[in-house]
Amino acid sequence: MKKTCDDWRRHFPAGKFGAHLFPEFEKRAKAVSAEIFRVKTSVEAADVVLNLARFTNARKVVSVSSPLQEKAGIENVLKSADIEVYSDQGDIATHAATADIGISGVEFGIAETGSVCQDGYAVESRLVSTLPPIHVAFLDSGLIVPGIIEAFEIISQVFDRGYISFITGPSRTADIERVLTIGVHGPSRFIIVAVDGELQGGGEAS
Amino acid sequence: MTGENRNIRKEIGEKLKDEALRTNLGRFAEVYPAARAAALENAGDVEALREAIKQMKIDTVDRIEEVAGRFEAEATKRGIKVFRAADGNAVFGYLMDLCKALGVKRIVKSKSMASEEIDLSPYFKKNGLHVCESDLGEWIIELAGHKPSHMVMPAIHLSRYQVADYFSKELDKEIPPDIAFMVQAARRRLRGEFLNADMGISGANFGIAENGAIGLVTNEGNARLVTTLPPIHVVIMGYEKLIPKITDAALILKLLPRGATAQLMTSYMTLVGGPTPVMVKVGEHWVEKTREMHIILLDNGRLKAAKDEKFKQIFQCIRCASCLNVCPVYTLVGGHVYGGHTYAGGIGAILTAFLSGMADFEKFHELCIGCRRCTEVCPGKIDIPGLIEELRVRAVKEHGLPFVMKQVFENVMTNRRLFHSLMRAASLGMKPFAKGNLIRHLPLFFSGLAKDRSLPTIADKPLRDRMKSLIRKPAKPIGRAAFFSGCTMDFVLPDTGESIIKVLQDLGYEVVFPMDQSCCGKPVSATGDLETARKIARLNIQAFEKEKADVIITGCPACVEALHSYSEILKEEPEWKDRAAAVSHKVREFCSFVAEEYGKRGRLTKTGGGPKVTYHDSCHMKRVLGIAKEPRQLIEAAGCELVEMKDSDKCCGMSGIFGVKYAELSMPILEQKMNNIRNTGAEIAACACSGCMVQLQGGLDKQVPGVKMKHVADLLAEKIKD
Repeated sequence: MKKTCDDWRRHFPAGKFGAHLFPEFEKRAKAVSAEIFRVKTSVEAADVVLNLARFTNARKVVSVSSPLQEKAGIENVLKSADIEVYSDQGDIATHAATADIGISGVEFGIAETGSVCQDGYAVESRLVSTLPPIHVAFLDSGLIVPGIIEAFEIISQVFDRGYISFITGPSRTADIERVLTIGVHGPSRFIIVAVDGELQGGGEAS
Repeated sequence: MTGENRNIRKEIGEKLKDEALRTNLGRFAEVYPAARAAALENAGDVEALREAIKQMKIDTVDRIEEVAGRFEAEATKRGIKVFRAADGNAVFGYLMDLCKALGVKRIVKSKSMASEEIDLSPYFKKNGLHVCESDLGEWIIELAGHKPSHMVMPAIHLSRYQVADYFSKELDKEIPPDIAFMVQAARRRLRGEFLNADMGISGANFGIAENGAIGLVTNEGNARLVTTLPPIHVVIMGYEKLIPKITDAALILKLLPRGATAQLMTSYMTLVGGPTPVMVKVGEHWVEKTREMHIILLDNGRLKAAKDEKFKQIFQCIRCASCLNVCPVYTLVGGHVYGGHTYAGGIGAILTAFLSGMADFEKFHELCIGCRRCTEVCPGKIDIPGLIEELRVRAVKEHGLPFVMKQVFENVMTNRRLFHSLMRAASLGMKPFAKGNLIRHLPLFFSGLAKDRSLPTIADKPLRDRMKSLIRKPAKPIGRAAFFSGCTMDFVLPDTGESIIKVLQDLGYEVVFPMDQSCCGKPVSATGDLETARKIARLNIQAFEKEKADVIITGCPACVEALHSYSEILKEEPEWKDRAAAVSHKVREFCSFVAEEYGKRGRLTKTGGGPKVTYHDSCHMKRVLGIAKEPRQLIEAAGCELVEMKDSDKCCGMSGIFGVKYAELSMPILEQKMNNIRNTGAEIAACACSGCMVQLQGGLDKQVPGVKMKHVADLLAEKIKD
């Protein structure tokens, strides 16, 4: 799969990121209507996604894989619950516009704003995160940077070409009478599954 | 000019009666300052950020060709086609060729103000192409056939009911005026536009020279779709969006969402660097291809501005519109009265002058009242009012002043005796009429009537005629203070003039009042007539240098500003330059001077026991002179209990000629101020500016009769025993 950078983790500035920033990140993300599930194991992560699919009566899911999703075996868990799951590029192109849930991984979170940074060079990772009404993003809870400035320190190292997004809560508008309304062109629910432990990198031990 | 003016007056009248506009904008303006402040709480050192943006942008504009060249080279290297367009026609030609060559029939747009500036969509439609705006607000105004009324919130002038009507027509079914429902209806309707478009057009919030990438800041997610679904992506952006480095984008992103909508970050921020993959259906199968990507760099007057020492500042604009959100006039009337152009408000007036020509500017520049509130919030630290004044100077140089004003300025204002005899005549002349009028700094012939404000009459005995009985030379004077009263204090508020003299004499100063002093020149220079302003400056310099005073005191911050500017406006006249500087150098604003003197004497302390007083910050006092603390300290030193009002530093609505010429705008601004004063429960409203005093006294008289208006000098003088 095409990525702006194949190994983002290598570019995190030592001492400037870590799980200690997660509470601030969580507070900011929730303030803009992102939903956050912080889990300790990949098994719990799979439960979160399966429950979500059940509660929303999802029948069709499009998914672009990431290491966290693979470890949690998300696709198999959903399939065994009789939910259609599409993860091939061509299938995603066919089904993203009619899918109930899109799932992808993101590279890191930003505490200052509650944003996550998505490497969207591959078109399928954008299709699953823009077209379905629900986007589930898998995040390593240890990969939180303090702010926008630090985020761009990382980006400036990896961004020769490609497509990078900050996603901060669900799609929103206030274009009619300044009334905040969720879910215009993008997802109306943005759900972050933040996984602790297993895959955590070497920021600050905390 | 008058004919065109009349249209604007009519438009202003209509906007003031427009319930939807007034409600939406009013509500937004009410909450914006606090929301913005809250959003900035965790942004770090905001002033340092603003300075960094300014410096980054100045560095860019100073080598704009080099930066644009690098941007083009890097983008080209990565497979983007870059086209430099001199103007709208060049863009049209390029895009029509492209559409023909690639068989483009359907176009979907996410927001690009540069494309609106050149009226791209109407051009496409005329040429048989299907084009659709996808930003909800832009789509609404496209359906309505309007221009944006705000740079960030283009449809803020419309109510849900109006939007429901437009939607019902477009979707050919009854759409209820329920906002959530309408947003979902728009989502369904516009989804097809994204999926079926042959070409996506976006703007850019910044373009990075280092790697040829662009950045898009949106909330709805439409820009993500426009850059993801169609097989062709065209970016239309102005040169001012270029930044040198990837990390420079961080500075913009720290302040753009916070300033625009008081968000820490918009829902989506997207960086596109080079062509990205796109899925294209070939027969029954989806195939990945490389998207065709074009970037059009639009000049349309920008490169000329880049070479202009003053106006290159427009490159510091990041289009956040915070300047509009705090503008007392914009927040009343919205963007359409600024000539119906893409860019509204003060910054819009400036951009329009460069992008659409001076003729348009001359129609609505007076709507900038110079309160400078915008300069406190602009992330790029643009001196918007300063640039508007500069444009006025250039307009006057080119076309001269309107006839009546020209006659008055050239013949009356430069002749102190004639001017003052007219002022005296006004005091007699207005007696037969029910109520006399005098507008700030200006004589009667500019005045208009106002029903929600009484304008004070010209005093029977001006300050200059009271001098003999007022001047008491202290036995051992500690210095000589010359008093510059300004016309208003001389002819309208002589009692306050007396208070100032009393306070200065009480400090031990020998006070002198040069009889040859005239108008400070501010009302004249504000219209752009620098020639007359220079003549007035020379008269005042002569009047004051004779007195050999240690300090020149004035109780009106606009006068202080004008007197300080003498050395600047006369800098090219060798025989006057140094004399001007010598006089300017001695000028001090009353409150800051007295606070300093009181401080030396241990008198700048809270004493208590007096009435409740609320203080209004004059725009000139706070934002031009930077004086806000001292008048408050003096109020407390005078024994009063200080109670702060909401928005104490928001303009009172007077602002020189504006307050009377545009009385219909001035009155709602004054009304907000009156409400804020009333809500404090204060017995006295104080300020330290004679212009504001005239306006506030007039408003209190009609609207809050229980509250008295006083200058800080009056409060101090009352404490001094004769």
